[in-house]
Amino acid sequence: MIPSDHFVRFYNEVFKALEAKGHEHVVAYWRELGRLQCIELAEKFRKGGLQAAHDYWTRIIKEENCEAEIVRGDGYIEFRMHRCPSLSKVLDNDAAPFEFYCDHCMGWVEPVMEKAGLYGVMDMKSRSEPRCVFRVYEDKAKADAYERTATLSSRPYAPASRPRRGK
Amino acid sequence: MRYKETGEVHMDFHRTTNGTISYLRKTHGDQFLDEVFRRTARDVYRSIHEDLKRGDPEQLVEHWTYFFDREKGEYALEREGETIRFIVKKCPAIAYLQERGIEVDPAFCRQTVVMNQTWSEGTPFEITTEVLGGGRCVQTIRRVKP
Repeated sequence: MIPSDHFVRFYNEVFKALEAKGHEHVVAYWRELGRLQCIELAEKFRKGGLQAAHDYWTRIIKEENCEAEIVRGDGYIEFRMHRCPSLSKVLDNDAAPFEFYCDHCMGWVEPVMEKAGLYGVMDMKSRSEPRCVFRVYEDKAKADAYERTATLSSRPYAPASRPRRGK
Repeated sequence: MRYKETGEVHMDFHRTTNGTISYLRKTHGDQFLDEVFRRTARDVYRSIHEDLKRGDPEQLVEHWTYFFDREKGEYALEREGETIRFIVKKCPAIAYLQERGIEVDPAFCRQTVVMNQTWSEGTPFEITTEVLGGGRCVQTIRRVKP
């Protein structure tokens, strides 16, 4: 049994094995993760809006041992991840990290947001440091405006902004 | 032991492991799935494999028992000469899935079978997994070379 504590290191190996077959296979896997997460979350978020998203990520902070906080803004919630347990484990690992590991997060979040009628913006800041800022908006224009200020926005499904080496 | 997490346990990762196994098996085939488990055993758990190559199975035994205790699995550990048996009576991963009515992928236990097999390669040990069904199995480390 792969312990649940070690899932992300297994995940990292899945990404690398798929990337070796072609990046499109990684993207297809992210879509599958998004499909599965939609079953769990999309309806809850659609009905409960920002409050439901706030409740979900508050639970995740505890369950996944995140060093993080959630603050409310005008029409959005902001998840400030100070120490991501997922990337931290992937970096504390005898196997090499997948270069685009962080993008899996928006890979599942984006389909959930779309189905829920919300708008997520993930500023990864860096793909090699376990911190990021994630906002969920009710209004697309506000989300777009915030994204323009991001240091390193995660857009796993946008062909023009597909993760590039060196970023 | 190389990895020894503490604090909260997020058991829902077993759901994602199950979904991932199902997806990889259906989309990329059994061989690809097994190869991912092999690279996980070789690379992520390099430390366990290196110890086994040196003739020391204790890190693997600690890995099994520590995480089963942490996830509230049920097991017995038997030692007889140079043979160690990890008798799983309740796999916490399968229990988690079944308690939520989630269909356990037919290849779910490949993670254990293939990783044990890989860990034994190039070592003085044979590591076998007898899957009994219903979240039960027997994992045996047996020294076959001096």
